[in-house]
Amino acid sequence: MVQYSYFPGCNLKTNAKGFEKSAVAVSKKLNAELVEIPNWNCCGTVHTMTSDNLMKRIAPVRVLSRSRKHIEELEDSPNEVATLCSMCNSTLKIVNKEVKVDEDKLSKINYQLEEDEETYAEDMEVKHFLEILRDSVGYKNIAKKVIKELKGIKVVPYYGCMLLHPEEAKIDDEEMPSVLEYLMESLGAEVIFSPLFKFCCGSYHIVDDETIVDSQVSKILQDVRVKGANAMVVACPLCAYNLDYQQKKLIKQTGEKNPIPIFYFSQLMAIAMGEPIEINHFEDHQIDPRKLLKELKLEG
Amino acid sequence: MSYEYIKFGKEEREFREKIEEISGENVFSCYQCGKCSAGCMFSDKMDRTVNQQIHRIQMGQKEKVLAANTHWICASCLTCSVRCPRDIDVAAIMEAIREYILREEPEKIIVSELPKEVLERLPNIALVGNFRKMTG
Repeated sequence: MVQYSYFPGCNLKTNAKGFEKSAVAVSKKLNAELVEIPNWNCCGTVHTMTSDNLMKRIAPVRVLSRSRKHIEELEDSPNEVATLCSMCNSTLKIVNKEVKVDEDKLSKINYQLEEDEETYAEDMEVKHFLEILRDSVGYKNIAKKVIKELKGIKVVPYYGCMLLHPEEAKIDDEEMPSVLEYLMESLGAEVIFSPLFKFCCGSYHIVDDETIVDSQVSKILQDVRVKGANAMVVACPLCAYNLDYQQKKLIKQTGEKNPIPIFYFSQLMAIAMGEPIEINHFEDHQIDPRKLLKELKLEG
Repeated sequence: MSYEYIKFGKEEREFREKIEEISGENVFSCYQCGKCSAGCMFSDKMDRTVNQQIHRIQMGQKEKVLAANTHWICASCLTCSVRCPRDIDVAAIMEAIREYILREEPEKIIVSELPKEVLERLPNIALVGNFRKMTG
């Protein structure tokens, strides 16, 4: 069994429990177990694009340092920290690349870490779980573990911004990504392309101006409906929240009769691999995916 | 464009230099192709498009730059930055304008005024992300 030092990030413990539990369950089945880093801290969520603010870069470096220590306790573990949340993934990756090339920045950050007897190790890499599935596990091995093909699910892969931007953090081609497509095909689902695959959902504007998010979400969903899909698959807890929660609100306002359930990619994997449905925490979703699964006889 | 549009006084120059210092980008690299604004998912909600803002910085229009809502609407999706043919990190310039303001007036959003229900319902990443972009 290959074990990965896994950084969950705050949201997988609160709003997106089903994302984490389903991902950990399938990771064990695929011989690439995600093992949580003990005493991890918040990565800072959004990467600072300022050139003169080191404070905001300390948290991600601390995560990398703790992950490096954690790896020594694991079995056959590569020097990689695995992430699920695409915002954590992008923040950790960018800072990791920055400190690798900028010795001055690194030495100043290390000076802060030394108080806690921690230091950054240069041989660490950050990998999103999707990258591990694609590059280390392989779609063929995923398909072998499928016991219940997702027949009838017509799914639009929605990448959002942070899986594909910026250059330093992208997990796939930024204009022509394919990882979610191939993953869904290997589970037996029908993949439908939407040109709005990375049309920003409005992100953190949900806090200060919901109307921005509403406008973005209704455009994305309109295209999904026009294309005849019955589900969307995402990898970011914030995209999932905006698309799910605001969709419920928009349906109430417009009387739209075609709700689109939002799945995390790991939830669809867990269903296809016959994991118990409870691990997906579908009760946390506003648009209940169990209705669609029941119609297609994929529940339980 | 009138001659008065261009301002190259000390204050304007210092503003441009500060934006360049915070962002680490050279605003004069921009040749106004407009690709950033064409691909921007929020252009329809902005007073001025992203390339117009950069042009104003080049021309020393400090007041007008700061008065627009462009940099507050920008959600840092970074589509402009990956597409810029001049390799400018356009989103970093938007961040620099936000920072320029927040370093003087640190509360674009007042956290203590958010209702408790909102704080409990919203995902942590939305809250942390928003506070990092909207407070100093």
